[in-house]
Amino acid sequence: MSRARIAIVAAVIVAFTVVGGILINANRSHGGANRTIDVTVTGASSMTPSNLTANQNDTVTINVTSDTTGEVHLHGYDIHFNCTAGQVTSHTFKAVNTGHFDIEWESTSAPLGTLVVT
Amino acid sequence: MPAIAIFLHGFGIKYDLPIALWLYLYAAGGVVAISFLLVVVFAGDKVGAKAVEYPRRAVPWLVGIARSPWPRFIGGLVGVLALVAVVVTGLFGVQKDPTLNPAEYITWIYFWAATVILSGLVGNLWYLLNPWAAIYDALTRFVRLGPVLKLPDVGIWPAAFFYLAFACLELTSGMSNRPWIVAVAAMAYTCITLAGMIVFGRDEWLEHGEGFTVLFGIIGRFAPVEAERDVSGRISMVYLRPWGVGLLQPAVAGWDRVVFVILMLSTLAFDGILSTPAWQDFNVALEPLWLPMGPYGFFFVRTLGLLLLTITFLLVFVGFMQLVIFFGSRKVDLKATVSAFALTLVPIALVYNAAHNYSYVLVQSQGIIPLLNDPLGKGWHLFPAVVGYQASFALAQAATVWYAQVVLIVLGHVIAVYLSHLRAGERFRSSRRALLSQYPMLILMIAYTMVSLSILAAPITRGS
Repeated sequence: MSRARIAIVAAVIVAFTVVGGILINANRSHGGANRTIDVTVTGASSMTPSNLTANQNDTVTINVTSDTTGEVHLHGYDIHFNCTAGQVTSHTFKAVNTGHFDIEWESTSAPLGTLVVT
Repeated sequence: MPAIAIFLHGFGIKYDLPIALWLYLYAAGGVVAISFLLVVVFAGDKVGAKAVEYPRRAVPWLVGIARSPWPRFIGGLVGVLALVAVVVTGLFGVQKDPTLNPAEYITWIYFWAATVILSGLVGNLWYLLNPWAAIYDALTRFVRLGPVLKLPDVGIWPAAFFYLAFACLELTSGMSNRPWIVAVAAMAYTCITLAGMIVFGRDEWLEHGEGFTVLFGIIGRFAPVEAERDVSGRISMVYLRPWGVGLLQPAVAGWDRVVFVILMLSTLAFDGILSTPAWQDFNVALEPLWLPMGPYGFFFVRTLGLLLLTITFLLVFVGFMQLVIFFGSRKVDLKATVSAFALTLVPIALVYNAAHNYSYVLVQSQGIIPLLNDPLGKGWHLFPAVVGYQASFALAQAATVWYAQVVLIVLGHVIAVYLSHLRAGERFRSSRRALLSQYPMLILMIAYTMVSLSILAAPITRGS
């Protein structure tokens, strides 16, 4: 393959990746808001709402009310809510990492829901 | 529907976000546009044997290192220690939670995900790390181990079988997250491989019966390091070459080799497909069939899925190859042509592997660090400093991951299209014919890359 041909292909690929990078950067969510989410856990097996969302860099407060005593675990951020039946347990954290993080009832590993940070 | 835990990969949880729709469309459009640009730019390129010649640069200072016994010694030591660690921690470590057992990290992340990616990037690391070759070599220092029997002419079918068995352990058994099963499998495979080498001869067995040696041999062809040996088998020179071109080197033709490459592609794709809603639907549709089977139902439905996917990939590939030969309009042997073109798909599979495992290798891999303090979960305090270690997500933010994934997928696609173009030039002697024969292959590659991209963009389903 001649040098000119290589140059054309290389230029197009570089342009593609540069534009891709600019687009990804422009589409990043610019969080930073305060967000409070109230959830209710029933029977150590279900949570409403079950799909929680936040933007990156939001300050998120999750208030968990459970009718059972036990631990609710938010994976990834590794936050443990030590719930007492009927009482509200809260944690506040900065959502620095993007991702799809599972929320589980720790003792049985029953899936309760997810927190999606975009 | 009963609760089925979805274990992505061998074990552990993936935090990745699927690629955003707009980015998926941008990447998909880019793949198609660049593909056709490549075809136009390459039109009228070289044909015949010249087509598959590639540039390479001699690196004399690497010859000394390649000839010295030290890389093999250190690599073998690392490999053997890792194997021992998998067996010991797998058998005697924490069983309840696989994320607390080092055997899982070593097997599924450090060996299975990371060694494959690094071997494609640098060179065939398995050649250095293979613990069974190292054990055999150490044994032969003390005892003479001659081959007892001649290995029948079985091609690489045994290696393909063991590779499939490993893929089933990872993806379809539902047991890859049980450390003791991983340890038992490692011990069983150690016995099989050592026995194979003792009975049939070291290299005979490694090259035909050891699934990982064959796999990493193919991956090593993609890598940029090339060693040339003289007639006595001594390394005479080490070369650096562009990524991918090594796949153009002459290779043994045979359906066993084609099936092995197709298995590489299908097992990788299957790992991604498992986490998509499409797979959930397939699962639900077959419920009447597998629910009555109890605990075996899970294994059955997944293995069936993997085999069906492999057969589909194989049939689609052979079908497209018939078209390639038709458009190339030259009397060529189907087996030889299929074998030669199969390797040109390897770059797409490798970049998909890297994209798919990107955050797994960068983030999940760090989970082993806090375990070093107490690898067996016995309450030890070997390295108290590491206990509080929290995995860093620095390189795994969605924007970074997506960018890396899209760039990798497009680069792999470009390499594959280019290689297949060169291969066509070699096989179909007129450049017009070669170009014509390229269109079916181009469509196949675009389709395959699109499958990779859409798996990366598919919403992840968990649990049920």
